[in-house]
Amino acid sequence: MSKSSASASGHALWSKMPKANAELFALTYGSLVTELIRDYDNADEVNSQLDRIGHSIGVRCVDEFLSKAEVSGINIPPCQTMKDTADVVARIGFRMFLGVSAEVANHAPDGSAFSLFLYDNPLSIFVELPTAEEAAAINGGSGGCDLSKIKYSNVYCGVIRGALEQVNLKVTCRFVKDALRGDEVN
Amino acid sequence: LSAERAAAKIERLGFDVGYRLCERLAQSKPLGPGLPPPGSAGAAAAGGAVDPAAMQLEAVKFLCKEFWTEVFRKQIDKLQTNHRGVFVLKDHELRWLRRLPPEDETARVAAIKMLAFPCGLIRGALSNLGIAAVVSCDFLADGKNMAACSFNIKIKS
Repeated sequence: MSKSSASASGHALWSKMPKANAELFALTYGSLVTELIRDYDNADEVNSQLDRIGHSIGVRCVDEFLSKAEVSGINIPPCQTMKDTADVVARIGFRMFLGVSAEVANHAPDGSAFSLFLYDNPLSIFVELPTAEEAAAINGGSGGCDLSKIKYSNVYCGVIRGALEQVNLKVTCRFVKDALRGDEVN
Repeated sequence: LSAERAAAKIERLGFDVGYRLCERLAQSKPLGPGLPPPGSAGAAAAGGAVDPAAMQLEAVKFLCKEFWTEVFRKQIDKLQTNHRGVFVLKDHELRWLRRLPPEDETARVAAIKMLAFPCGLIRGALSNLGIAAVVSCDFLADGKNMAACSFNIKIKS
């Protein structure tokens, strides 16, 4: 599927989706993460809960994606290779649900892995994560949750994993770079 | 996790979101000449004779119109007050409840759980505007329309 037609499809599908206030979305997610931190003592638990939540979302996203595409007459040809899948997820899927496109790069030589780059993360518009030193200061050495290790947007990993699982692709997905931790891109 | 604790959690989530969302929304919309800026505690100093009841009414009206529109893409359908700190907000068709199967008992229970979030939203928004209140909700579904609900605000005096 050519890149520009994929982007155009993504944009067209996005315009057909009912929208919610972006700030409400980001704030609600933030409150959710805050509650999770309150519930669980360590960052890994929080990260895996976010992944689990994302998984439930992703499973439902695929049906929505395919049915909306069919209704709008947008043809999404079946993916022949992992590269095609990557393109569809990034350009159409992300675009449709979040309104931002992701870029695909770093395909593994055997076609079994790829990287998704998310330049604009709508979930983290109001967020700052503490650095390791600040996190230690907040905890006061009492062994609470290490906030600097939280993968704030880990829900995306779950969504991708859940969605691809529905089309019989078992994948693992993890964050390599996180803009909230000082990298340039997600 | 027991039902009350879960409801309290969801209400707290709603409170945080409502508080912060109201902060954002109230910045761009002037609430009237007599109102102190959001978050300031000493309202009495703001320009002399500001009638607190009028201020509360302005705040609740802002909630019913601008705030509700941002969250639910429509305004509150009916606002009632006894002018003594009690307000009833009715929404005949809340988006979030629209897809519930009609006349289903488990759907009622689920709806009540979901309504905890908007209760928190209201409480948070009011708190940001300097008003402490207790918010409860009622599920007004009459069998066919499962999305009707009302929120009762009692201002703490």
